[in-house]
Amino acid sequence: MKRRTFFRNGILVSSGLLMAPLARAQAKPSAAPLTAGQVVQVKGASPYEITKRAVAEIGGMGKIISRGDVVMVKPNIGWNRTVEQAACTNPEVLRAVIELAFAAGAKKVVVMDNTCHKAEDCYLRSGIEAMARKAGAELRFSDENRLVVHDFKGEVLGKWPVFRDHLEVDKFINVPILKHHGSSGLTMAMKNLYGILGGNRGKLHRDLGENIADAANGFRCHLVVIDAWRVLMRNGPVGGRLSDVELRQTVFASTHIMHADVAAAALFGRDAREVEFLQAAFARKMGEIDIARVPLKSLAI
Amino acid sequence: MDSKRGRRLQRLRIFSQVFFVWTFFYLLVKSGGAEVAHLPQTGLFFYLDPLFLWVNLLSGRFLHAFLLALIPLFLTLVLGRFFCGWVCPLGGLHQFFTWLGSRRSCKKTMVARGPLRLKYLLLIVLLVASLFASQLLGWLDPFSLLTRSVATVVLPGGNFLLQHALESGGQDSGWAGKAVRPLYEFSRRSLLTVTQRTFLQPAAIGLLFFGLLLLNLRRRRFFCNTLCPLGALYGFLARFSLLRLAVNEKCRKCNVCADHCTYSGSPYQDYLKSECVLCGNCLVDCPAAAIDFRFQLPGTGKRPALDLGRRRLLGAAGCGLVVAALPQVAVSRQAKAHPFIRPPGAVAEKEFLKKCIRCGACMQACPTNAVQPAVFQAGLEGLWTPLLLPASGYCEYECNRCTQVCPTHALASLTLEEKKQFKIGTAVINRSTCYTYADGYNCAVCEEHCPVPEKAIRLRAVEVQGFRGRLKKVDQVYVVPDLCIGCGICESVCPRTDAPAIRVGAEEEQRENPYG
Repeated sequence: MKRRTFFRNGILVSSGLLMAPLARAQAKPSAAPLTAGQVVQVKGASPYEITKRAVAEIGGMGKIISRGDVVMVKPNIGWNRTVEQAACTNPEVLRAVIELAFAAGAKKVVVMDNTCHKAEDCYLRSGIEAMARKAGAELRFSDENRLVVHDFKGEVLGKWPVFRDHLEVDKFINVPILKHHGSSGLTMAMKNLYGILGGNRGKLHRDLGENIADAANGFRCHLVVIDAWRVLMRNGPVGGRLSDVELRQTVFASTHIMHADVAAAALFGRDAREVEFLQAAFARKMGEIDIARVPLKSLAI
Repeated sequence: MDSKRGRRLQRLRIFSQVFFVWTFFYLLVKSGGAEVAHLPQTGLFFYLDPLFLWVNLLSGRFLHAFLLALIPLFLTLVLGRFFCGWVCPLGGLHQFFTWLGSRRSCKKTMVARGPLRLKYLLLIVLLVASLFASQLLGWLDPFSLLTRSVATVVLPGGNFLLQHALESGGQDSGWAGKAVRPLYEFSRRSLLTVTQRTFLQPAAIGLLFFGLLLLNLRRRRFFCNTLCPLGALYGFLARFSLLRLAVNEKCRKCNVCADHCTYSGSPYQDYLKSECVLCGNCLVDCPAAAIDFRFQLPGTGKRPALDLGRRRLLGAAGCGLVVAALPQVAVSRQAKAHPFIRPPGAVAEKEFLKKCIRCGACMQACPTNAVQPAVFQAGLEGLWTPLLLPASGYCEYECNRCTQVCPTHALASLTLEEKKQFKIGTAVINRSTCYTYADGYNCAVCEEHCPVPEKAIRLRAVEVQGFRGRLKKVDQVYVVPDLCIGCGICESVCPRTDAPAIRVGAEEEQRENPYG
């Protein structure tokens, strides 16, 4: 990291931390629907514990899940990579989310993703298959026979095939990993929604930012938990080289997908205003793009 | 031997066949989708095959595992064609289909010699050709034939049928749907592949395989008696074997022993030592316990065997010369450019064509369905050799399965680290169709997927003239040839639907470099 970016990010993050309560106070009367989304950022010694704490801090899973709900937990299992290579969601973070969902009364928790590499390999190698089974979740592969057309009603993304499983559940929890991404800059919660899409997803890389924003705007996530335990800083989204991975020991939780992404981008050292899909999301009035105006609560345990 | 003991022997033989068919399928199915560390020893049956011992002797560094083939070879000199009757998994399948269509023989005449003889002549043709580096034994060898057919047709076909049946059944809203849906969920989890596997020319490979199985209904073990080169090799040896069937004085000359004889002969009327596979059917059928196994020392008595005829043998050898020469004078032998890439570890093309036995074990092991049986891309001689076809799949960076299952090391055995370095080919961008050049749009799907940690596909921000001459910024993709390993994932994910705008070709492929 260059000294200049270090200072810039340092100032950005710390000013964000300082001004978060202020921003909330200011925002309340004027634009309440925009800034309602609280983000909690927790740093700590165990990915499992910080995830539990982060969810508790935004009000607990009980506020999100009702008794008897069928819950989809959608991690990023896109690549045939190990936990250390940090291309897929950390299984420990996933375990915490699944356990919390069950504790809040979920009837069933489903884990699935539409992978980029061969699905069986990704599920296995990421450690997610073993962990999801252990936590009692149902593991599903994306089945092309279960595609239905969903209307995202976006500016560029309209009707597109989506796996029925994601539409048929009561609650959808988006559990991405924060990492570098060649074409979109970063991938977090909004980009993670590409994993519910079927069809020729590559086509959606033209106007990628607009499409990501439309996907996030046209599909409801009830909870977003971003894993930033290990962060792939370069050569994403697939990575592979351990020297590109940095240990950040952080998890974000929010019910607001854009704010979660803006906060995670700040941790990565990227101003959200430089990220194309966040600009597009801002243009769609999905939330604040200025980290200083995002209600962010940051704590370390 | 009375028919009770004969029945016991027959049952033992059937048990043995079921066992080997099961073992074969178990190993083959297991090798698909298994983790690299847990790959089963699929080469077992190939190592037991003397024909491949021969192929291996002729094609560079000798693999000691093929010495295993000496065991059935020597046992054949003692027992006769026990291997065909008791061990061979393809023989087992043919025996089963023969049994399905079994009828008593009506004509109690001598068995026709022509069809039996054909396999010997074929063997001569293939052996002579193999001396001149045209290695075609794998086309007909029973293990290659079976592995190839099961991997590329039987398993994917079965997967499709099961998937389709359960899926359409599960859509029913009544009780049938309720009954089928859990079955479907179970199969999705543990039986079916997540994506349907597809292969080149399934019709050709499948029709050949199922056609051969169906021919058993017309003629007992049609393939084994008529075409099998391995059967022919064992037949040559079996005429000198110690064990033989013999009719004793209790024989009533009823010729009932012809009723179910596997080669359609009979111990009484038309015993051919070279054709008998020791199936034991005649022992069961004989009403008088008049047939025995007997040891016959070399140099004593008559050894009834098929007469091949000197002229026919010479003719077959001549045909072998023709077959040997034809592929070698094809232009593909000289052209330095070729329109295909091979899976990782492939040795230089000339050596590859000698070593590869066209078995398709690599096609079964490939997790991404990228390894495909060639049609004519590699010349007629290269029929059914493995190609890496990015249109179908890509070479998974974290995988070296195909290099581990190849029984002949035509795909040299590579460790995962070696494989990651092995350059299969190089990607080339077609600037007239790539979105980032032709249309001025951002895309970079290939860049995203490039598995090389340093990224062999990179982005270059440029300004181009867009619509109405307005300048706009585009991230154009470009390939760093020195870093590219040719895995083909870029080609397989390129979103263009007419033809991929990035292709992997054989340029700079590592295997052609004699010093590499």
